[in-house]
Amino acid sequence: MLELKDVKLSYGNTQVLNGVNLSVKRGDVVSIIGPSGTGKTTLLKCINYLVKPASGTIVFDQIRMDYQRADKAAIQAIRLRTAMVFQQFNVFKNMTVLQNVMDPLVVVQRKSTDEAREIALRELERVGLSDKRDSYPSQLSGGQLQRTGIARALAVRPDVMLFDEPTSSLDPELVGEVLKVIKDVTSSGITSLLVTHEMQFARNISSRIVFMDRGVVAADGSPAEIFDAPSSPRLAQFLQSELAFQ
Amino acid sequence: MDVSAMIPELLSALPLTLAITFTAIVVGFCLALVASTLRIRRVPVISNLVDLYVSYARSVPVVLQLFVAFYGLPLLVALFGAADFFSPNVAAMVGLSLYHGGYLSEVMRPAYLAVDRGQHDAADSLGYTFRQKIFRIVGPQAIHIGLPGYGNSIIYLIHNVALVMYIGAADVMATAHLIMERDYNQYQFETYLVLAVIYALMCLIAWLIIRFFELRSPMQAPEATATTQIKHALISNA
Repeated sequence: MLELKDVKLSYGNTQVLNGVNLSVKRGDVVSIIGPSGTGKTTLLKCINYLVKPASGTIVFDQIRMDYQRADKAAIQAIRLRTAMVFQQFNVFKNMTVLQNVMDPLVVVQRKSTDEAREIALRELERVGLSDKRDSYPSQLSGGQLQRTGIARALAVRPDVMLFDEPTSSLDPELVGEVLKVIKDVTSSGITSLLVTHEMQFARNISSRIVFMDRGVVAADGSPAEIFDAPSSPRLAQFLQSELAFQ
Repeated sequence: MDVSAMIPELLSALPLTLAITFTAIVVGFCLALVASTLRIRRVPVISNLVDLYVSYARSVPVVLQLFVAFYGLPLLVALFGAADFFSPNVAAMVGLSLYHGGYLSEVMRPAYLAVDRGQHDAADSLGYTFRQKIFRIVGPQAIHIGLPGYGNSIIYLIHNVALVMYIGAADVMATAHLIMERDYNQYQFETYLVLAVIYALMCLIAWLIIRFFELRSPMQAPEATATTQIKHALISNA
């Protein structure tokens, strides 16, 4: 369904992605783990072209795009089929919770206001935010903001959900409410890519784990393969430090 | 001289003062919009010229900018054979519009840049076009951020309109000087006091309008209505 081939990207002199290859099948829940600064978030942002890779190819069903000759139509087509949940929530600050979820449906998908409202209310109920629909982001907690972000992403009916460290900016006591919603989303069968440092959570919900190190995919396998039989000392060391911390 | 007789005379110059102010507000806003867009998007050569213009508007004293407009404009309009078009009032409007546009562009540009990068990312990731993103997400947030600075720039503009008398425009300040000289400078204090009240009122009205829009902004936590908050602000100011 989704394939990234030899994706390279650098920020100035720092090479962030060193030729990443990754393929995702429909229905997969892929967790991307790895030390900070190894390009996990950057890789996720390559998929919807929020960052511009220097080279490589993305294949998304029938859409095929060479990053060196990226074209607007292909980028837009991919963006319309994916939805991203951000580490910093990135909920639109000038809109209420309900407007946040409705706006992309009305503006981008050209749905009627009534239909958009119906979908938005359903998604807000799903993430448990019906009572906050008229609140502004400045009046919400981090967990509520992130659940708004998830509802907004779900409402556009994406083929692939991209979760970029959705709990990293949350207080420990708010992490649970967001993980519960993500678990609900991923178990519904929607293809998901999740960048996370929540190891136990990744193990429980994922069909595959990808370990990134120094800008490449260093290990790729089922949760059991990755967690129970790490294929390299580097992965074993990383898992040990992460699990010990948690 | 009776103060009550002086006030109508001063107020007779108010329409011209307001006309100069409004022209500078409208033209300056358009100039600022173009200037800040070009400075953000960096078009080769043109953006550098705009940098130069903004630097001129911000670093040259306003009174000097008015003199440049007053003496430079006749040369320019002569080139187009429209010398009759020129008057001190037109020079004042042109000079202040250029000043206000340059100054305001440095309110707009930071306001746009202050909108969190994540807001752009979220809109892009959802498939908003650039225009949709600007009009629905980034623009409203930038306006909210820039409104206090915009209010200040309007107040500076009102103050600087008082300088147009140096190039012969008959605004309230120039009229006040005429009144004082006619009365052999006997009532300077009274005249300046009335003038101060007129300027203070103009600034207060401008501030109230800006404050109204600030409080109406959806990013303002709506604990109280805009009208109530303005009332409270007025009481505390008084």
